[in-house]
Amino acid sequence: MISLSGLTKEFPGGVRAVDSLDLEIGDGEFFALLGPSGCGKTTLLRSIAGLETPTSGKIRISGNDVTALPPGRRNVAMVFQDYALFPHMDVTSNIAYPLRIKKVSRSRREARAAETASRLSLSELLARRPGQLSGGQQQRVALARAIASHPQVFLFDEPLSNLDARLRLEARTFLKRLQRELAVTTVFVTHDQGEALALADRIAVMNAGRIMQVGTPSEVFHRPIGTFVAGFIGSTPMNLLPASAEGGRLHVAGAVLPLPGDIADGPLVYGLRPEYADLSQSAPTGRRDVFSGKVAVVENLGAAHLVTLDSGDLLIQVVVPEGDEPAVGAPAWAVPRTGRALLYRDDRLLTVA
Amino acid sequence: MSQADPSGLGRARAVGFVLPGLVLIGVFLVFPALWTIYLGLTDYRLTGLAAADPQVVGVDNYTTALGDERFRNSLWLTLQYVLGSAVIGQAVLGFAIAWVLRNRPGPVKRITEGLVLLAWILPSSVVAFLWIALLDRDDGTLNTLLHTPGFAWLLDYPMLSIIVFNVWRGTAFSMMLYGAALENVPPSHLETARLAGASTLQQLRDVVFPRIKGHVLTNLLLISLWTFNDFTSFQLTAGGPEGRSEILPVYIYNVALSGGQLGFGAAISFLVLLINLVFAFVYLRLLRDRRKVVVP
Ligand SMILES: Nc1ncnc2c1ncn2[C@@H]1O[C@H](COP(=O)(O)OP(=O)(O)OP(=O)(O)O)[C@@H](O)[C@H]1O
Ligand SMILES: [Mg+2]
Repeated sequence: MISLSGLTKEFPGGVRAVDSLDLEIGDGEFFALLGPSGCGKTTLLRSIAGLETPTSGKIRISGNDVTALPPGRRNVAMVFQDYALFPHMDVTSNIAYPLRIKKVSRSRREARAAETASRLSLSELLARRPGQLSGGQQQRVALARAIASHPQVFLFDEPLSNLDARLRLEARTFLKRLQRELAVTTVFVTHDQGEALALADRIAVMNAGRIMQVGTPSEVFHRPIGTFVAGFIGSTPMNLLPASAEGGRLHVAGAVLPLPGDIADGPLVYGLRPEYADLSQSAPTGRRDVFSGKVAVVENLGAAHLVTLDSGDLLIQVVVPEGDEPAVGAPAWAVPRTGRALLYRDDRLLTVA
Repeated sequence: MSQADPSGLGRARAVGFVLPGLVLIGVFLVFPALWTIYLGLTDYRLTGLAAADPQVVGVDNYTTALGDERFRNSLWLTLQYVLGSAVIGQAVLGFAIAWVLRNRPGPVKRITEGLVLLAWILPSSVVAFLWIALLDRDDGTLNTLLHTPGFAWLLDYPMLSIIVFNVWRGTAFSMMLYGAALENVPPSHLETARLAGASTLQQLRDVVFPRIKGHVLTNLLLISLWTFNDFTSFQLTAGGPEGRSEILPVYIYNVALSGGQLGFGAAISFLVLLINLVFAFVYLRLLRDRRKVVVP
């Protein structure tokens, strides 16, 4: 188990890359740190590894305070974005390197390297040097090196980002299965929310050095706690529209919707994922709970299209299935599904509408 | 236009362009070198009968030199000088400074580098004068600092003095070269080693040196050659006392110009040239072996 309390890292020059952060990561958990570029994910990961000295706060691994321990005594293994394989060593020596430092005998560490390599289907490549491997193979060698030393914690910094899109999907599935089998606590940094949703048991969404929300992929996706997380998570960004509650009704972008429960009058933010609205190309008669507008842009997503409606001074996006896409410039109506919209006030989730 | 003549100048004009350079090289490099070889085979002297009419004496000068206690002593001192001040002093110290400064914040690094560089760029006569002032027996700064009045550093420890002097003077080059080389070592490689628990020495052995081997070889070749042929120490000790700091360049000067035996001096110069060639040859071999290893 990793637990961070009040962790702060301030770089010279006053950048607070990690800002009094509290976090608990359970044993064997596959935990993702997700956030936009520059939000402090790498700094947080490096602080856990001991490669950055925190300005204040504590880091505990399995109950032991490791804040002051050097990286080599924390029993963690890290895979870097550039894999950091030693170019002058062959694959066996690379995988066995941490064991060599730990003074494991040559025969034992070579056996361990071979065993780990076969698990990652690298057996054919043991005698090669990193320069003679493809990107995907290098990534697996880097993983093998991390695995072979049997650490308490794996730390991955965007391990998949140097792979092409196809290979990345394969590696993702592979990584998830591997982590299940090994059941080693894993913290893994990504700025690809699809990757985080697919892989992680839990996700921490970060912004500007702080954690905005921690939760399972489904919690983070379905009930984002604030508008930042709402806008960040999802393959197409959520519609976040200014709204107001008046006399038990919700007024959003020209539509009037029923207001759930006990919400006081006042301004709100109405959040609706493009996937959770239906597009109608003829005016629904007698209904006021629809958004009307003109089709401004149609983007092809493969099996679906993302349609952007121009509704007065607001833009509303809707995902429509293949074959139903409207012509650009045509009038269209977006019908929100009930129970799918999120209402925020002062950047806090109030309820689901 | 033929392929052998991509510039389209024609043979005559091409030769015309190259000729001035060739003439200069010939006059100032090739001719003196050949002349030295010739002189080395004669009993040419600065003054006297042999100056007017030098006689060819064959390999006499070489046999004399190899049998001469003073020459062999000088060779031995030169070896100490090269090993002590270049290989151990400048290379090790230069690397150590570069390593320690590698990710120091701005001012510390800039000031240290500035000071070290200063020792390198000052004219040698100025530097020699400063060191004489430092090591002087009566009013020397060092004696004042150490409270050892009257201690004659340059007389009692002439080799040590010029070795320390040359280390001080030449470390900047190695420091800068290694500083640039260390930039080529990816931080993630060092960090991987640190996470595995590698000590500083293990990090140097496993991550840093394999990366900067070529730089190390180049550095060692250059500073050994420079130190081997360095004459600055003459301004401190003039080879003395009693030849105890008479390294080869100083020896040649003392024999050929002070002693007037130009022929003998030329023969020794040729020996020095041969030794330099051996250095360069060994280095090139090492570098080639390294290439073979890196690109299997
Ligand atoms: N060594 C450093 N010195 C000063 N500032 C730094 C240093 N390293 C990182 N920063 C700053 O700290 C902040 C967080 O950086 P960090 O590398 O942790 O971001 P990240 O979330 O990993 O981003 P990315 O997704 O682009 O990798 C950034 O504003 C960055 O500029
Ligand atoms: Mg990063």
